[in-house]
Amino acid sequence: MPPKGRRPRSPGRPGGGDVRSSRPGTSRSHPSRSPRPPAGRLVGLLLVLLLGFSGIVVRLALLQVKDAAAFQAMARNQRVRELTLLASRGSIFDRSGDELAMSLPATAVFADPRLVRNPASEASIIAATLHLDTGTIEAALTGPGRFVYLARGVDPVRADGLQRRHLTGIGFLDETRRFYPAGDLAPQVLGFVGVDGTGLAGLELQYQALLAGHPGHEVVEEDPSGTLIPQGVNSDDPPVPGDDLLLSIDRQVQYRAQEALAAAVKSNGAKGGTIIVMDPHSGDVLAMASSPWFNPNDVRQATQDSIRNRAVTDAYEPGSVNKVITASAAVESGAMRLDQRLSVPDSYRMYTHVFHDAHSHPTEQMTLGDIIAYSSNVGAIEVAHLLGMDRFASYLYRFGLAKRTGLGFPGESPGILPPTSQWSGTSMGTIPIGQGIAVTPLQMACVYATIANDGVWVQPRLVDGTVGPDGTVTDAPAPDTHRVVSIATARAVARMLGYAVDVGTGTEAQIPGFWVAGKTGTARKILANGTGYSTKYIASFIGFTPASRPALVVAAVLDEPATVYGGVAAAPLFRDVARFALARLRVAPAPRLPTPPHAVSTT
Amino acid sequence: MATVDIAATAPARPGIAERTPLRYLDPILIFCLVALSIYGLLMVYSSTHQSLETFHVDPGYYLKRQMLFLVVGVVALAVATVVDYRLIKIYAGFFYAGSVVLLLLVRTPLGSSALGAQRWFQLAGFQFSPSLFARLALILMLAAFLSEVKGELTLRHVLRACAIGALPMVLVFVQPDIGTTIILAAILVGLLVVSGASTKHLLVLAMAAMLGIFGAFQLHIVKDYQVSRLTSFLDSSKDAQRANYNKNQAEIAIGAGGLTGRGYLHGSQTALNYVPEQHTDFIFTVVGEELGFVGAITLLGLFALVLWRAFKIALLSRDPFGTFVAAGVATMIAIQVFVNVGMTIGIMPITGIPLPFISYGGSALIADFIGIGLLLNVNMRRFA
Repeated sequence: MPPKGRRPRSPGRPGGGDVRSSRPGTSRSHPSRSPRPPAGRLVGLLLVLLLGFSGIVVRLALLQVKDAAAFQAMARNQRVRELTLLASRGSIFDRSGDELAMSLPATAVFADPRLVRNPASEASIIAATLHLDTGTIEAALTGPGRFVYLARGVDPVRADGLQRRHLTGIGFLDETRRFYPAGDLAPQVLGFVGVDGTGLAGLELQYQALLAGHPGHEVVEEDPSGTLIPQGVNSDDPPVPGDDLLLSIDRQVQYRAQEALAAAVKSNGAKGGTIIVMDPHSGDVLAMASSPWFNPNDVRQATQDSIRNRAVTDAYEPGSVNKVITASAAVESGAMRLDQRLSVPDSYRMYTHVFHDAHSHPTEQMTLGDIIAYSSNVGAIEVAHLLGMDRFASYLYRFGLAKRTGLGFPGESPGILPPTSQWSGTSMGTIPIGQGIAVTPLQMACVYATIANDGVWVQPRLVDGTVGPDGTVTDAPAPDTHRVVSIATARAVARMLGYAVDVGTGTEAQIPGFWVAGKTGTARKILANGTGYSTKYIASFIGFTPASRPALVVAAVLDEPATVYGGVAAAPLFRDVARFALARLRVAPAPRLPTPPHAVSTT
Repeated sequence: MATVDIAATAPARPGIAERTPLRYLDPILIFCLVALSIYGLLMVYSSTHQSLETFHVDPGYYLKRQMLFLVVGVVALAVATVVDYRLIKIYAGFFYAGSVVLLLLVRTPLGSSALGAQRWFQLAGFQFSPSLFARLALILMLAAFLSEVKGELTLRHVLRACAIGALPMVLVFVQPDIGTTIILAAILVGLLVVSGASTKHLLVLAMAAMLGIFGAFQLHIVKDYQVSRLTSFLDSSKDAQRANYNKNQAEIAIGAGGLTGRGYLHGSQTALNYVPEQHTDFIFTVVGEELGFVGAITLLGLFALVLWRAFKIALLSRDPFGTFVAAGVATMIAIQVFVNVGMTIGIMPITGIPLPFISYGGSALIADFIGIGLLLNVNMRRFA
């Protein structure tokens, strides 16, 4: 039995009326007979409240069991951000390891115009710091949108200075800037990159995948305000830097070649020109440039013409330099003996067309050596007729015409050589003297390299190897080679080319102390509409030295020189470049080649 | 019989052991209270330590303050338990009047405001919210009033009870504190139901309440943004977008917890503060994310256990006042849990109601502890 305590049981205090019950303080000793609240209501209230709880349980089951995966994905998506880590772009080195292209840390400056409070004052500060135009910046700051680049590739030191000003709405991004320390050296070979660092031209484009490397990815967590949480999800995908390129280009030779080319273009009043220096044995291109050129550090100022690497992208009618193929084919095929003499008038009629030699002369007896040395058109055409169309055409192909060299350079032209089935009645008149076909300067340089390399054609190359991120050097694959003519033929033709420099049209190419073999070319340019020839010329001299032990091939091509002739305009350019290259490459002089059989008396 | 024997045979020890009703303390209720308090401390620490570390402040700052509140709460609970509830009944009117005065005073410059709401007094570094104590005062006042009613509850009684409830409700509503207004309304309705008000009266009242309070939300529930706009109008501590953001983030955090949670202190959404006010109103998102469905159900189970004990106490109370007090406290806790958890899982509008015993905050914790103290009080005196 429970203890009673002071339990009030005073029946003398019957419950009061409403008035009293509204004053609970007076009801201390109310009778316990007061009706017990209905138990059913209590249970009902409990059930209603528990019903609310079960509603929560059901909803929780939906959220946390049924749709948990979706919510986990949503949580992850808003919390986790994948950042792309830029891979550093590979550098480009010349053959001695000097840097020709490199990537530097830089900063991109951008604005969120909506956050900019005072565009005028901010614009003047930004423009002053970054040396930009105030009006342009202010226009960008007041423009639409939420993101606009104000400047890219900004020097980080300068960007830091701007960052310290704490301008509202101005942001900074790390990026890299491509820098060409040698300035306008070999610009058409190197090419350039866009603002996003992607190669857009030249080797930068050709080797984009290799140079770029692979961007890494970093997964980070961020809080709702966008602050990155450093100890967030780890990244296991670091960026892989791009490979470096080791070029065959020799910085010194390239520099002197460009300098000489610019001088020659100027002194000859030419529109432009192209220079190539090649090692005939390895196919290494030591120098390659076309004038006018551009500065890859300031591509925006460059004209379209100056960007193209015309040594490989532009085909032109080579003119008389092509006669070396005609002569080689005749010797190799035995169509004509070296001492065989042809009766050569100064004009030759084929169908409707009459071919002339450059200068009028009485009908003369000429050997192959004479025809090359004096660059007789009529003689070359006669030789081609001895060969016949098919045999002649086959040598054109074997010397690499109408086919890309295998350099793989972006935009490389294969040149133009119609199949014999499409040759016209005058093709056997034009093609032996280098008209009616088109070649790139590099293709023709390779023809002379073939003669210099004892008859073996070697694929030219600009890249000798690559250096991986770990420093391992990978040599470029050995160049393709194929024999075009025999050693004997090559040496015989070399003698003819040496004779041309000694006594013929190429005397301006002579280098004191070294024997030079080479050939002039003076080709009429076709009209822009393709209906005929203009009165403008492309002058060229392509040759090699030393003639008896060739170390380098130089092709010099001038576009529309006022001086017209290859022997006058281009031969001196060849001489200047070759002379420097011989010294730079420390080439020893070699004995003179015997003169070829000749009939025309030297004057 | 045995107790009587002991009392009779050992008069030398008229000890407390025999006489005190303390031996009838409800162990299950006390267990629930201890478990909920520990659960709350864990959640408060988890939801605050990261932010505090970020600012290079003691990561246990909130934890320590909450422990201090717990100590105060235990003292308050002890007082509310030991003082005979029938004595408390005598002073119910005093408590009620006092809370109304405080609710009025908080509107004066004496009260502090933030984010457009004027809700509390600032006392020596601590905030004191009278609205949280007004809930208890209303329970006591209504219980006292209803327990004095003899016979059938007439419409007049019901209207009087409504008037008693309406006064603090209006004062809390204008603070504005829509959440506490809902709690006060629920207490009023719950006690009218338990006191045996006729179904007809209850239906009328229910309809009026529906239209008056929930109607504002429920009628517009079709269009979410209107609800949040309305909510933010009524509860200006959050703007409309923010209310919607909170709701979405709360659901994401809880949903991401899945069945077993991401692990204690491993809730990324929690650590990165995606859910704001997560140590107070939105603390259930921490439970949901870190401890998952299992942890949430465990917590709800503890609350259900409290409810069961509270209703058992209400049933077994020796007088109607005790029944009403117990039922009122039970309703207060249950509605808080439902509204608070409900808003984090998108089935209730966003209002600023703390989760009892779990949310950080001294006033609420102490008030709820006093509520539990009243339950223990009624329970252990059921024989006396």
